[in-house]
Amino acid sequence: MSSPGTDRPAIAADAPEFVRLGRTLLQSTEIGLAIIDAESRVPLLINRRLEEWLGDTDFDAAMASVPGLDWASLGATMGEGETRQAELELKVKRRAAAIALRVSGQTFGGRRFLVVEANNVSKLKELEYMMESYAKMLERNERELRREKERAERLLLNIMPRRVFEEIKAIGVSTPQRFDECSVLMLDFVGFTEMSVAQDPSALIAELNDLFTAFDRIVEQFGCERIKTIGDAYMAVSGVPDPAADHAANIARSALRMVRYLERRNQGQSSQWRCRIGINSGPVIGSIVGAQKFLYDIFGPGVNLAARLEAHSGPMEITLCETMVPLLQSEFLLEEREEAELRGFGKRRLYRLRGETSGPR
Amino acid sequence: MAALFDELGGFAAVSRIVSDFYDRVLDSDILAPYFDDVDMRRLVDHQTKFIASMLGGPASYSNEALRQIHARLNIDRAAFDAMKEQLGASLLAHGVSPRDVTNVIADIEARAGYVITRN
Repeated sequence: MSSPGTDRPAIAADAPEFVRLGRTLLQSTEIGLAIIDAESRVPLLINRRLEEWLGDTDFDAAMASVPGLDWASLGATMGEGETRQAELELKVKRRAAAIALRVSGQTFGGRRFLVVEANNVSKLKELEYMMESYAKMLERNERELRREKERAERLLLNIMPRRVFEEIKAIGVSTPQRFDECSVLMLDFVGFTEMSVAQDPSALIAELNDLFTAFDRIVEQFGCERIKTIGDAYMAVSGVPDPAADHAANIARSALRMVRYLERRNQGQSSQWRCRIGINSGPVIGSIVGAQKFLYDIFGPGVNLAARLEAHSGPMEITLCETMVPLLQSEFLLEEREEAELRGFGKRRLYRLRGETSGPR
Repeated sequence: MAALFDELGGFAAVSRIVSDFYDRVLDSDILAPYFDDVDMRRLVDHQTKFIASMLGGPASYSNEALRQIHARLNIDRAAFDAMKEQLGASLLAHGVSPRDVTNVIADIEARAGYVITRN
């Protein structure tokens, strides 16, 4: 590259002092400066700073490489007072440098010039990139946090009804509540203990998980809520914590679907899953139990009676007693059974739930 | 460790360390050649994440990620040590206590196996 900045003849010794001062300033400023003859594109001045940045790079070639500037035609097209801005990437001492350029058209004594001002904005760029990548990191962290929170919420909703979850989220605690109008379903599998010994335990648990997942879908479909599973036992409720006018019918329908689901599943399968179900309508208390390992659970006579009735079920049978009869008899087929002595409840008439009067089966 | 990032004043303070470290790396005869063809944006991005995560801020590089990033850079022991030295100097110059610097460096040393790929 020719170096017009340094090859220039010295300023005449008798030049006014401000002219000399001006030239010194042009050379020593932190801003890179170039003055170009617009017609011939010959540089009349390239100051020391700009030369330093350019190094071995030719000024004209460097300017031609700037995207969007259209340097070749600039001399012909740029009018007085017009400006263009662009950015030049250079290697200064083998390090990438970002140079912000401002090109303006100027006329002096009938001649047109292009004045190029250059600023090294590498540090600014660096900071900009840094902030970009930091913002991205934060965004990613936030997304992960949100996902984590959603996951935690889903887990909590597995062990407590949404209404209780919202209550805890809003005020930190949930108070035990009595529900009079509700129905409970208790299910367990016939001979489960023997099955688990006989089979591969992990495969058995996988099957159990399958079944319970299916039950969850069934109870949800009928407006019931799964309360918990204990081993092979499954417990669901309707009317807790949200009131449900048809709680008895909801539970009865869920029970029928569960039996039907198992019957279908057992067809052509080597492992036969047979359940007993007890259903009952009666008062329960719903509450969160435990502080660290907590669970939403229900207690009370409504629950206990359902458990006793379940024990009186034969394989694939659904048992209830007279408390539920008035609630179900118009819509369901009930078969009267014997009277039985139920611990804590005295003598009760048992019934078998056979199906719906208008539905399938 | 997790507190160091916040102790120093979060991103505002750490950005000065990143900037200083960036300068030191590019001024180093051993380290600069590794970044000759690396785009400035990528290098700054990498160093921001690297330093933020070394100081216990957001973004952490898994060992697998470290291995992948450095797999084709042909890094030897001398370069790795030079990098540790520059980072240590940078941290010290920005008010990180010698004890914390020692911890950070030890943490980096523990991952040498994922970065050095040449004898």
